[in-house]
Amino acid sequence: MRRLETRWGILMAMPAILGFLIFTIGPMVASAFFSFTDWTIGASPSFVGLDNYAAMAGDELFWKSLTTTTYYTLGSVPLVLIVSFAVAMLLNEKVRGLAVWRTIFYLPTLVPAIANVVLWIWIFNPDFGLLNSLLRQGGLPASQWIYAESTAVPSLIIMSTWGFGNTMVIFLAGLQGVPRHLYEAVSIDGGGPWRRFWHVTLPMMTPTIFYNLVVGVVGTFQVFNQAYVMTEGGPNHATLFYVYYLFRKAFTESEMGYASALAWTLFMIIMVVTFLMFRNARRWVYYEMAGAR
Amino acid sequence: MKRRDLLKLGGLAALGTAAAACGSGGGSAPAGSTQLQFMFWGSTFEKKAVESMLKQYEQKNPGVTVKPLFTPDEYDVKLNTLVASNKLPDAGYVPMSMSFRLGEQGKLVNLFPYLQKYPQLAGYLPEAYLWSGPDKLHGIATANESMMVWFSKSAVAAAGVTPPADAASAWTWDQFVENAYKLTLDQSGKRPDESGFDPKQIKQFGISSSITYGAAWYGFLRSNGGDIADESGKKCTLDSPEAIEVFQNLQDLIYKHRVAPGPGQLAATGDEVPGTNILLKTKRVAMVVDGHWSLLDMNESKVDYGIGVLPKYQEPFTATQVAGASAVFAGSKHEQEAVELFAFHNDPRYVDLFKQGLWMPQEKKYYEDQAAIDSWTKNAEHPPEFRTAVVDYTRQHGVPDFRNRVKNMSAIASDVLTPALQELETGKRPAAEILKEAAPKITSMLQGWHHTQDV
Repeated sequence: MRRLETRWGILMAMPAILGFLIFTIGPMVASAFFSFTDWTIGASPSFVGLDNYAAMAGDELFWKSLTTTTYYTLGSVPLVLIVSFAVAMLLNEKVRGLAVWRTIFYLPTLVPAIANVVLWIWIFNPDFGLLNSLLRQGGLPASQWIYAESTAVPSLIIMSTWGFGNTMVIFLAGLQGVPRHLYEAVSIDGGGPWRRFWHVTLPMMTPTIFYNLVVGVVGTFQVFNQAYVMTEGGPNHATLFYVYYLFRKAFTESEMGYASALAWTLFMIIMVVTFLMFRNARRWVYYEMAGAR
Repeated sequence: MKRRDLLKLGGLAALGTAAAACGSGGGSAPAGSTQLQFMFWGSTFEKKAVESMLKQYEQKNPGVTVKPLFTPDEYDVKLNTLVASNKLPDAGYVPMSMSFRLGEQGKLVNLFPYLQKYPQLAGYLPEAYLWSGPDKLHGIATANESMMVWFSKSAVAAAGVTPPADAASAWTWDQFVENAYKLTLDQSGKRPDESGFDPKQIKQFGISSSITYGAAWYGFLRSNGGDIADESGKKCTLDSPEAIEVFQNLQDLIYKHRVAPGPGQLAATGDEVPGTNILLKTKRVAMVVDGHWSLLDMNESKVDYGIGVLPKYQEPFTATQVAGASAVFAGSKHEQEAVELFAFHNDPRYVDLFKQGLWMPQEKKYYEDQAAIDSWTKNAEHPPEFRTAVVDYTRQHGVPDFRNRVKNMSAIASDVLTPALQELETGKRPAAEILKEAAPKITSMLQGWHHTQDV
């Protein structure tokens, strides 16, 4: 009976297993191999050892794309965490029409990528966009937003906060798991809202914050759509994100070998960064049940 | 947002599906018949015209069926996939820079031996031929295209300006700027040279001429005696005084004269501006430098437009052969039929796109023989000035677009040239500084001009 179940279980999971092997593991192994070759589509690959990896050191655009992406990550992740945490706190209060508010704040996440981009291109329009209209009405200087080098990435960072819904929902779930008796304990000791936040909410939420931080960093390192659709990496490489550069190398310049090496380098960068975050997490993430594990 | 961008996103999603689907083509032809595949991109309008051309080909060649592979987006990605998996179609479009790579790799049929057998193939404009080496003819630019000035008739009439419609009376750059002043108006109707002009509230720009789009400025550059590279094709000459003057003038249109829009200013919903037809129809801009292909949209959207020639520095020049390539793919089981289809696919006798204004012919006779010229221009879609402002202008004052002539151009453009031009467009630094920085970088990437020869 048990063996029968096992067999059926594996059989039923086969589509997923096969999909993973064929469409994820297979291409990964292939790209690892190609990263050691000089391969232009149409020609046959020739083995070049670590040349592709060595070439990156002298590739100005590789460094440019890496710094641009890091800049975006450093800007976007904290901002999204703060905004979504703050909104989650608000939505955790008992206010009238709570369900409606929660829906409204989650809604932008449901907007399809294309509609989202169209909307933001309009918001950023230097002549008649929403942001510049507001700035002008307030008597403030207008900005060129995504059309100027210095403001392009900050603009995209601002745009990234728009889709905070998923992060917010995770925070909200975390907030509801904070034991009430701890709040009561603070109240009995005469602590106000600030103390409740600082001594109970924040420490109890560190595992959730940590989770969102890791997911956010991994996600933003792979930012692509905005560069592809809105800016095409411009102006003057200001939004040349790593994955967009990789895509361009692979599909417009057909340098598959180098592009594969770029992909593996990014994989390793993300792995190292994640590893460091986990090491560092011991210092500030508090698991209430840690001792019980 | 341009349709292209919309399609791009759709393409992202459909990529997987498309790659999976493309393996299923072919092999289903009934016994005894020949089945060809023709791969192409384009608007829905172009799709209709190409499919009708393929139907006519089938009628004229009983026993041959052609399967259209319409690929409106991610064309290079899909074609690369087909190359990598050895599942190439028989004939079709190839993105220009990619055609040289595929030609060098032997993935495209060398058409040189066919020139004698099919005289039609030998009668094209010399610049239409694409060579990947001596006697190695890998393709032909699908259709001819050139650049000109499009203007709103009512806007120029209101300002008392008449853009010249023949090369002999082309404006000098100074005259061009002077007229652009007359055509620029802010919300209160003031011109840039009047006091109280508000550059932040411009109702009608005098001129729009792209800085980042190579075909738009290449005619100016050549007219001023400059070029992108020297004769060897290995030294970039964009830092020459002639080139600097041309690009400084373009930057000055925006920031000094304030007669042209800066980056993003025209954008309705995208990084690219709305079509020239919309800009002229709404009189957001009075004159636009754009390609001949705009004619189709102008007619479709019933714009009251006129066509003029570009301003000149010395001898008037316009960039021509601004197009993609067409080729026969190597490995076709029916190479001869594929070559015949190739000769047929852009023949003005069978393709409506010439009469409708999207394409210009590649065969010489359509510029030289009166009856042949009339066959595609004597119709309601082509205005009276078309003969001098487009047909003669293209033939006598055309210089082939550098993007089909310089090796490694696609990498040079995306890595150095376009970013530098984008910086120029933002107006933060003068042209001389930017170009002197970019030129050595481009030189390091240059690999010479593509081969050319007489047929």
